[in-house]
Amino acid sequence: MAKKLIEFRNIVKEFDGQIVLKGINLDIYENEFVTLLGPSGCGKTTLLRILGGFLEQDEGHVYLDGEEISKVPAYKRPINTVFQKYALFPHLNVFDNVAFGLKIKKMPKDLIEPKVNRMLQLVGLDGFQERDVTLLSGGQQQRVAIARALVNEPDVLLLDEPLSALDAKLRKEMQQELKRIQQEVGITFIFVTHDQEEALTMSDKIVVMKDGFIEQYGTPTEIYNEPSNEYVANFIGDSNIINGTMIKDYQVHFDDKNFACVDFGFKENEPVDVVIRPEDIEIKGRGKGKLNGQVISCLFKGVHYEIIVETKRGASKTITLHVVADRDVENKEANEKMHATSFTMDIEDVAELTDAEIIARANAQAWNSSTEEDISITEVINNIKPEAGKYDVTFRTEAGSSITIYVNVAVPRVNTNDENIGIQAFDIYKSVEEIKESMAISVDLITWADAYAWNLDSEDAVEIDDVRFDFDPNEIEEGEYEVTFTTLGREYKVHSTDSRNEGDAVSIDFTKNDIHVMQKRIVK
Amino acid sequence: MKSFKRLVYPYLVWAFILIVIPMFIILFYAFSKEGNSVLIVNITLENFVRFFSDELFADVLIRSLILAVITTIICILIGYPAAYFMAQLTEKRQAVMVLLVTAPQLINMLVRTYAWRGILLNTGLPASVKVYIGMVYNFLPFMILQIYTSLSKMDKSLINAAYDLGCDKKKAFLTVTLPLSVPGIISGITLVFLPAVSSFFIPKLLGGGSYVLVGNLIENYFVTTGDWNFGSAISLVMAVVILISMYVTRKFDYDKEAK
Repeated sequence: MAKKLIEFRNIVKEFDGQIVLKGINLDIYENEFVTLLGPSGCGKTTLLRILGGFLEQDEGHVYLDGEEISKVPAYKRPINTVFQKYALFPHLNVFDNVAFGLKIKKMPKDLIEPKVNRMLQLVGLDGFQERDVTLLSGGQQQRVAIARALVNEPDVLLLDEPLSALDAKLRKEMQQELKRIQQEVGITFIFVTHDQEEALTMSDKIVVMKDGFIEQYGTPTEIYNEPSNEYVANFIGDSNIINGTMIKDYQVHFDDKNFACVDFGFKENEPVDVVIRPEDIEIKGRGKGKLNGQVISCLFKGVHYEIIVETKRGASKTITLHVVADRDVENKEANEKMHATSFTMDIEDVAELTDAEIIARANAQAWNSSTEEDISITEVINNIKPEAGKYDVTFRTEAGSSITIYVNVAVPRVNTNDENIGIQAFDIYKSVEEIKESMAISVDLITWADAYAWNLDSEDAVEIDDVRFDFDPNEIEEGEYEVTFTTLGREYKVHSTDSRNEGDAVSIDFTKNDIHVMQKRIVK
Repeated sequence: MKSFKRLVYPYLVWAFILIVIPMFIILFYAFSKEGNSVLIVNITLENFVRFFSDELFADVLIRSLILAVITTIICILIGYPAAYFMAQLTEKRQAVMVLLVTAPQLINMLVRTYAWRGILLNTGLPASVKVYIGMVYNFLPFMILQIYTSLSKMDKSLINAAYDLGCDKKKAFLTVTLPLSVPGIISGITLVFLPAVSSFFIPKLLGGGSYVLVGNLIENYFVTTGDWNFGSAISLVMAVVILISMYVTRKFDYDKEAK
């Protein structure tokens, strides 16, 4: 086993009352390429700067080679850093930038030159010695920064998001380059990034961090195949995460079925998160796999297709859209025109109904017939009661023009599905014009129908994922149409090299090795 | 963009009338003698011969240059640490400091110099010391602001990089901070040296009549004696001296950068 090089013990760091690192314990071994991975603000850069000597921790110890180094100033640590924006000295050329550290150490000139030249060769910048660093490209500056750090032969090289300023192609190139350099010089690299792909390609070990804690520490394959919790699974790669229950060792329950798995050591009937990676799922004919479903979408992603298979429908509700003639009422005496449409509303909302709300829901408007100027509606006459039924409502302007519509007060009928999701919606009355004018018909239909879905157990709102209708909003005519609102069902993301058609009846299959059971993440 | 270009026209007209034409007038005066009229123009080098043949004038010129150089050096020595200190402060405090440094400039320079005259009157200091105090006092803010600007613009990670590569605080300053602030020092020198070399009322007010500089000389010939031709010639000599010294400073700056 390799030798332990760096040990972080219970590192705590606070900035202005905000705790950025909440007790970090971490061991880093010799010759490892370790990546600190996490979203911005997770504390990864802070940890790196503590190791570099640019910050001091409030609590805890840092050991390098068994020696506590917290009080050792940055310039005395055998550690060098490649800074995020390279921090090359603009007043020095490439050679002098790289030679900087050696010159400070008062190394004789005849020794500096071959060392610097060899290092420039290593990073592929031989012949650039006399160049002005400010005129180099991002990738070249990056290489100079790496050479400048490595020439000092540090025990550890720290890299603070060094690739974030490069474009995608150059990043890929530099990732391989960095890995190659690390293997060639054989020292420990500690690399900070928020890019999971970068972490997976380059690292020997990955430290996944969040909110000042380490969520998981392991090799890329460990982290990918056996994420320790939902957060890690989501952060690293694509995944299907399903609520489940651990029946007993080697048996897990989700989506109304029991599945054999390879996981053990959970409590009986412990609620767990189940991860199945999209590339581990196979699509088969209906009835041939473990769960039946329907193909919802199929997107081409370059190397593979991303297919969404729905194994369980969400709750849905179908309503009628009454498309009515546009009846503008004209008051010739006052030279005014008015417009309003009937609507249906929830009996529970009657108590809080105001005139303004009635005007808005009925889309009541009045305007001057010749100038088209808007005119205020000054009076709303209604006798709406919190009882189911039809009520007349009259809108009136100052000049005496009026229009009467009716309001349908209804008791909502809630549809539920097996997941205990309820959904309700009301019939809609709209004119042809209003539907044609809608900029986002799905969103407007949800608003007009007052469609709402929620979890009957927890009372939490559930998103309405799908609005289906069988008309073209631009070509619509008077009549009655069906509109169906559906919540999100159980969906599985599948990566496959074969494409599938939307609506295909299929089944999905996976083996017990593909199921990975995780403890529910405890919010610390 | 194109239409914005026309906005420069008013300045061009302004510059032509108030800068270019007067320059030619000075040139004309310097190379001519009294008694010019529309019909008779006396072109001569007499004014310059007079200036360079009299040792007294050369002495005054050298004294002016020495005064300006020493003032500039004192301004750098006092201004650099002040600017360095300012650049380390938090942004809010930096703003306050900039205000404090510039605040005296809100008062007319003449008024401030008269105030100094009152303060220094009975101190018994030699005239030259009094003049230096007044000069440094008046020109120091320009130096501080120029150096401060170049220091505060500097990427702080460069200092961290220097620590990282083995520099202690002193070395990091000498190898990174100082070289990178040279452009600020150079523009500070420009802003201090130029007005210092031709200033006339600070030496006049604080040094009394005994401290004659080129600026006083020029003022004298224009205002008191009315010999505009000789006055113009001295101005021209001054201008050439300033141009040469500017060129030398710039050259120094480029050498630093090239290295």
